[in-house]
Amino acid sequence: MDLTFWFYLSSGLFLGWSLGASDAANIFGTAVGTKMVKFRTAAVISSVFIIIGAVYAGSGASQTLGTLGSVNTLAGAFMAALAAALTIYWTVKLSLPVSTSQAIVGAIIGWNLFAGKPTDVTVLSKIVGTWVFCPILAGIIAVLLYFLIRLIIRRCRITLIRQDCYTRIGLILAGAFGAYALGANNIANVMGVFVASSPLQAATVGSLFTLSPAQVLFFIGGIAISVGVFTYSRGLMTTVGNGIVRMSPLMAWVAVVSQALVLYLFASQNLQHFLISHNLPSFPLVPVSSSQAIIGAVMGIGILKGSSINWNLIGRIAVGWILTPIAAALLCYISLFFLQNVFNLEVCR
Amino acid sequence: MFHLHLSLFAKTKALESDIDNFHNKLINASMTFGKAVDVYLKEGKSEKFKKISRQIKKIEHEADALRRSIENQLYSNNLLPDLRADVLQLTENLDRIINKFDEATYMFYVEQPEIPEEYHAGIKDLGRLSADCAENMGMASRSFFRDMASVRDYSQKVYFTEHESDVCSRQLLEKVFDSDMPLANKLQLKQFINEIADIADTAEDFIDELLIFTIKRSI
Repeated sequence: MDLTFWFYLSSGLFLGWSLGASDAANIFGTAVGTKMVKFRTAAVISSVFIIIGAVYAGSGASQTLGTLGSVNTLAGAFMAALAAALTIYWTVKLSLPVSTSQAIVGAIIGWNLFAGKPTDVTVLSKIVGTWVFCPILAGIIAVLLYFLIRLIIRRCRITLIRQDCYTRIGLILAGAFGAYALGANNIANVMGVFVASSPLQAATVGSLFTLSPAQVLFFIGGIAISVGVFTYSRGLMTTVGNGIVRMSPLMAWVAVVSQALVLYLFASQNLQHFLISHNLPSFPLVPVSSSQAIIGAVMGIGILKGSSINWNLIGRIAVGWILTPIAAALLCYISLFFLQNVFNLEVCR
Repeated sequence: MFHLHLSLFAKTKALESDIDNFHNKLINASMTFGKAVDVYLKEGKSEKFKKISRQIKKIEHEADALRRSIENQLYSNNLLPDLRADVLQLTENLDRIINKFDEATYMFYVEQPEIPEEYHAGIKDLGRLSADCAENMGMASRSFFRDMASVRDYSQKVYFTEHESDVCSRQLLEKVFDSDMPLANKLQLKQFINEIADIADTAEDFIDELLIFTIKRSI
């Protein structure tokens, strides 16, 4: 493994860094913004659990992306990740809710088109379906959780100060779970395109456990996400906590748990096996947008409490569903053309 | 994490205990004040009255110390960050009511007004109504921390007793100024009546704020 591998991987690492910088705010934003949890505590917990989630449970969603398009050269994977990263930068500029999933799916389709490989329409429709379903499901879960919490508080007559104490602990636990689910679900966006072409070998950690080559890749991606959390998420966390969405810590807990559950449902292979073995409908293992999940959860609570539906926000999410993948696909296609014809690099086999 | 949870629970328990004790002080102050007015009307500045007056002063000092401890805990331990401002405002308000009890008792102690027999029943009623009003304010505030659903019940009692104390003080003032007392005595009595009625008015102002805090926190 030479330096070129790390150069090619850099676009994925950059994507991971930006994911950590933006999406950690969805998990710990309100907790840090309202000073319920210190930033350092939030950053350490996020980082540790994102890495655990990515390494332990990241393969499910990654396999789904693999079936959509198996980017089989490092240069191709580099460009797919870079196209996704640049598209995210552009959507952030347009103030659209960022979705790494949509960008990377678009980029993979762009690679498929360039390489002349077929795009599995069934898998694609499954993925697109989850994008629409994810915020709706988060909203429904948030409403159910809200009712449950309200019932518990009213029945148990928990004092305000204890409530604060439990909420604080709950926010830390929910943050840990949210970080785990984010790592498990979104590592596919960051490192998924590199799985097929990665030269990494399996690694044994002491004599405790062995990481498969994909898990080693996910571990590296997890570290990139963590660096993003530590270096760039602080400002966003404060903004989420105090600016865009002003919620009480208890409502923030409901929103974070809802988002984490949605991400977990779309990432856990164990849960999928369990549901299938009990003849229950299962969830496809697909990377989904944590930002859109939390927006769905917040809107669910808002609608329940009598707020009007923010059609502007829903419109912007819907525009993102269409615009982000198309832009990423186009950018990836054009960039691959340059990479192949100007730099003479093998972008597909 | 385990250590964090243990220390958080300990800090929570300590704060909860202080807030509870602080409310006890307000309720004690209001009951003691009612007793002080009774004793003064019966005995004037007797030894018993002096003892009760000292009791109220002591309660006021202890309440001040508790308020400072609550404020200190809220900031140094970073507790209740999202409603810290509301809790601080609430404790300041309750403390002001306790101070008012102390001030009113001290006025009796220092000025020793001569109150003709015919006003005794009215002033006794006014003292009782103001004390009840403050006591209900204390109960409402305690409910804010324990059981928010009851805040509205107690606030209704505060509004009712405040209205009653208003009526009572107006009747007393009319009666005083219709009398043949020297103007100086009339003005002194007016000052006492207003001082006592002001306790209920203050409690009513604070209950409005408390209701807003409750709406903000209701889930």
